[in-house]
Amino acid sequence: MTIIFLHLSKKNFLASIAYGLQSLVIMSFFLNSFFETNNLTILLVVFLILIVKVVLAPLFFIRLIKKNALAFSVSTYLNTPLTIISIAILTFIAYYQKFFPLTNIVPADQDSLSLALSAIFLSLLLIINRKGALSQILGVLSLENSIVAFVIFAGLEQNPALQIGIIFNIGIWILIATIFMSMILKHFGTLNVSSMNNLKD
Amino acid sequence: MEIIFIITTLIIVAILNVLIKRRLVIEFFSIIASSVALFESIVVAVKVSTAGVYAPFVFFSVDSLGAIVMLIIACVGFITTIYSVQYLRQETVKGIIGFTRVRQYFVLLNIFLAAMFLAVTASNPVFAWISIEATTLSTAFLISFYNKPSAIEAAWKYLIINSIGLLLGFFGTLLYFTSMSSLGENGFVSWQSLLANIVHLDPLIAKIAFIFVLIGYGTKVGLAPMHTWLPDAHSKAPAPISALLSGVLLNVALVVVLRFKIITDTVVGQHFTQNLLIAFGLFSIAIAAFIVLTQENYKRLLAYSSIENMGIMALGFGFGGLGVLGAVLHMIYHALIKSALFLSAGTIFLKYSTTKIAKIKGGLTILPITSIFFLVGFLAITGTPPFGIFLSKMLIVSEGMKIYPIISALALFLMVILFIGFFKHVSNMFFSQKPKDTEAGESSAWLIIPPLILLVIMIILSFYIPPFLSRLINNAVSYY
Repeated sequence: MTIIFLHLSKKNFLASIAYGLQSLVIMSFFLNSFFETNNLTILLVVFLILIVKVVLAPLFFIRLIKKNALAFSVSTYLNTPLTIISIAILTFIAYYQKFFPLTNIVPADQDSLSLALSAIFLSLLLIINRKGALSQILGVLSLENSIVAFVIFAGLEQNPALQIGIIFNIGIWILIATIFMSMILKHFGTLNVSSMNNLKD
Repeated sequence: MEIIFIITTLIIVAILNVLIKRRLVIEFFSIIASSVALFESIVVAVKVSTAGVYAPFVFFSVDSLGAIVMLIIACVGFITTIYSVQYLRQETVKGIIGFTRVRQYFVLLNIFLAAMFLAVTASNPVFAWISIEATTLSTAFLISFYNKPSAIEAAWKYLIINSIGLLLGFFGTLLYFTSMSSLGENGFVSWQSLLANIVHLDPLIAKIAFIFVLIGYGTKVGLAPMHTWLPDAHSKAPAPISALLSGVLLNVALVVVLRFKIITDTVVGQHFTQNLLIAFGLFSIAIAAFIVLTQENYKRLLAYSSIENMGIMALGFGFGGLGVLGAVLHMIYHALIKSALFLSAGTIFLKYSTTKIAKIKGGLTILPITSIFFLVGFLAITGTPPFGIFLSKMLIVSEGMKIYPIISALALFLMVILFIGFFKHVSNMFFSQKPKDTEAGESSAWLIIPPLILLVIMIILSFYIPPFLSRLINNAVSYY
């Protein structure tokens, strides 16, 4: 739902809130897993998601939006009806029988896995379709959340290596991406990536 | 212990560089760190050549191909660090950068090298993924090093495209992990344990997983159509970083793809992964060959040449048999030559202050030694005999002719097109009339020695391969 909202939202502020909400849901999945297993690394992941993805990242984005008067997000490559049609097609593909082996990893969670797979596809569409740097970052972060959701539904969240991978991505990637976003704003005066046209040689 | 020593040395030097306020000390420490890495890498390579696999610690494991790539990282890393010292000094004299930038450069360079070492030595696929992601994050700042809008744009493109690619690679990786979860294994999954348990994986999942891995890590390898970040990033980064990106980093990502290939082959047979590698390889060669013809920037020209060469390697691994031998040799020769070419390109840039091919005139008169290096590099990289790449290309194409004659003939035709395009640009740059306002002469011996060393190593390896390296190559070929 939050990914569809991210697709349709015209306001950066609401998009940031939607991302925070999406991360909160992912955090609740991990929290549930912690209560079931008492795995302390999972608890660490819960805290990291809460601090970085639920609180800090949306707050940073909102501050950036307010500071630079980025009230409205920039345009998309596809118009709204075409975006909705694309969303429907991608969701259909995720539920298509060809992906059955993928969504049947845990038969009991087949619907959830199909949902996570469609979220992955929709996040990719979000990154491609939006022209704003902030929307692209939200798209990448949303893609990450979707993959993490798939990890949880596939019952892989207990794997310590995967947990470390997730922790690394949460901590470092957001930091680097936000630094770059500030650099883009400084150099281009906008977060609209279509204004970046210096690489034509 | 050697691997831990290499990585900790590089990380400690990176941290020290943040604190140190004297440029000379930063340069000295960085050279020491890279020379330690080179020495220890040789030690590891010799051990792997005799033992097959070297796994001194649970988190590290080096196989033959890993050892070859370790040697490439260490050798090119050491040479580029030496070159960087003089290159950045010249840029400081020209007022392009100040001390803060120099410090930032050496901090990131050491982190970048450490991340690449970690990626090839990690025994766990997720740690390899984390390390490759770390290379993206450290190099993003090196690409935006000059802080110009075009550099920021290139870095942003690099960051977004590679992050998406690596997330897809991560998704592919976790699909492989489902074979372990069914066994109830919750510990650290190594490449070996993944290979041992992969028979439990549904073949369809294995195929989907490999597609995600190939698209994901293939983005980092620079395979078309996921290559779009590569020419921008390589052309905007400082020349020594372009040398590392092109000559080393692409190979690091390719090693990860090949490790997943072996795992996938166990479940679905070789044809599936081979066909994918051939398709992506051929497409990469085609894209590069036609774009090179109309290229206007010599650093982008070299970047497209890298896309072509990664395509040739993919083709070699796809063909199998002697093609694998050709691909491994190609990896070694390409790393050395391309790094030497980028370093020479850096010297040309320092002299002409432009990367436009049209503005480089009379190269042979103005920069005689560097121009000769560039010409030798051009002949070597395009597969002119007697250089090693001629042999590696012949091995790949001749193997391909047995099973895929049309694809091999097409690849050969595209290589010829690329040669013509490359030759046209090179002749314009070096055999044209010297401009009157540009002073002739090389700026420093320390800008000549590093590419010279790389070319000398390449020429020696074209005729003689030391026994320990020969064993590593043979073992890698028999495994992959």
